[in-house]
Amino acid sequence: MTTEHNTHFGFKTVAEEEKAKKVAEVFHSVANKYDLMNDVMSAGLHRGWKRFAVSVSGVGTGDKVLDIAGGSGDLSKLFAQKVGTEGQVILTDINASMLGVGRDRMLDAGLNVPALQCDAEKLPFPDQYFDCVIVAFGLRNMTHKDRALAEMQRVLKVGGRLLVLEFSKVWQPLSKVYDAYSFKLLPLMGKLLAKDAESYQYLAESIRMHPDQETLKQMMTDAGLSKVDYYNLAAGVVALHKGYKT
Amino acid sequence: MFKGISTRLIQHLLAQNSWANALLQPYAGKSVQFNIPPVRSTLVILENGNLAIAGETNVPDARITIPPSLLLRLIAKDETAKLQIKVDGDTALATALAKVLSHMRWDYESDLSKLIGDVPAYKISEFGRNAGASIKETGENIANMLSEYWQEEKPTLTKKRHIEQFNTDVDTLRADVERFEKRLKKLTDSMSYVPDSNKPETDSVQ
Repeated sequence: MTTEHNTHFGFKTVAEEEKAKKVAEVFHSVANKYDLMNDVMSAGLHRGWKRFAVSVSGVGTGDKVLDIAGGSGDLSKLFAQKVGTEGQVILTDINASMLGVGRDRMLDAGLNVPALQCDAEKLPFPDQYFDCVIVAFGLRNMTHKDRALAEMQRVLKVGGRLLVLEFSKVWQPLSKVYDAYSFKLLPLMGKLLAKDAESYQYLAESIRMHPDQETLKQMMTDAGLSKVDYYNLAAGVVALHKGYKT
Repeated sequence: MFKGISTRLIQHLLAQNSWANALLQPYAGKSVQFNIPPVRSTLVILENGNLAIAGETNVPDARITIPPSLLLRLIAKDETAKLQIKVDGDTALATALAKVLSHMRWDYESDLSKLIGDVPAYKISEFGRNAGASIKETGENIANMLSEYWQEEKPTLTKKRHIEQFNTDVDTLRADVERFEKRLKKLTDSMSYVPDSNKPETDSVQ
C-alpha cells in the first residue's frame, strides 16, 4: 500500500521524492539504446502506435504541439512535419540523457524543434498555449499523475487535445502469455541487448502498476478534460487516450 | 491494427479530395456511426477536417443506417434509394459526412505513379478504364439481350408498357367494382325500405 508520501516504483514502494531519482537512473541507463530496445520489445510496433497517435491528433499546419517525455524525439519529428514552418513543436523530457538523444536527432534531421528539460508536473508554459499536448510512454513514470494531467490541461487552448499513449491492460485471454513475455523475456532481452536487466524489469513492473483504460479515462476527466475516448492497440497492450479541453 | 490501417486509408483518400476538409471542419470533434448490418463503424471528424475511426467508448452524435439491400441500390446509383437511408441524431452532420463520402474519388493513377512512374501508371490506368468500360458495355449488352429474349422469345419477363397497361386495367376494374358495390347497396337499401304506413300489422301475441 502507498501512503501519502510513498509511491510505486515498479512493484516496490518508495518515498515520493525518491521515485523521480530512480526513474532518472533507469532512463539515464537505457537512453542510448532506448529505441533499439523499443523496436525489439514491440517488434517495431511502437512506431505504428506513434504514427496512429499523430493521425488521430487532428494536428494541422500552424498548430502548436507539446511533446512531453518525448525522449528520443520520434513523435516530435512526426509532428514537426505536420505543423510545417508556421507551427511549433516543443520537445520536453525530465531526463537530460534522453532529451540529449532527442535533441541531437532533431538537429541531424534538420528540424527546428526546441528541446527543453522540465518536469511535467510543473510545466513552464503559459495557460492555453498549445493546440495539442502528447505524452507517449511517459505518464506511468510520473510520481503524481493527477498533477501532471492537470498541468497538461492547463497549457491546452480551449478545443485543444491531450493524447496519452501508454501501456495498458491487455485483453484477458492473452494476459498469461503477456506476463511470461514481460517478466521472463523482457529482462533477458534487456540483459543481452542493453546489458541492463534491472531497468527492463522496472519497465515491465511499471506497466503493470499503471492504471487501466477506464481508470485513466476517469483520471483525465477528473483533470478537466471532456469527451475522453480511448483506442486499444494490439489487444490492449497499449491504449491511446484522447480528451478535449472545453 | 485494423483501426490504424483504416484511419490511414481514409486519411489518404481525404488527402486526394482536399475539398472535403473545409466541409468537415465545422463539425470537428463530432462522430457518426455507420450501421450496415452486420458491420458497424464510427468515424470521428478531426480538428484539421480529417477523419479517423472512433475509439472504444465513443458516443456518436449521429447514426446512419443502411440495410444491405439498400446498399446494392446505392452502389447501382439508384437516386430513390437515398431517400430510404435512415438518419438519427444530428442530421446536418450526417448529411455533410454522407455527402463527402459519396463524392470522394480514389485517384489510383496518382498512387500507382509513385510506385512505378508516371507513364506506366497512365498506361495501366488507361487500360483499366478501357477494360472497365468494355466490361460495363458488355454487361449491359448481355442484360439487354437476355431481357429481350425473356420478353419476346420466351416471355418470362413482362414489358414495362404491359405492366403499366395492367396497372391501369386494375385501377379501372377497382373503380368499376366500387361503383357497382355502391349501386348494389343503394338498390338493396331501396328494396328493404318499407314506409311506416305500409307496414303490415303484426299479430299481437298474448
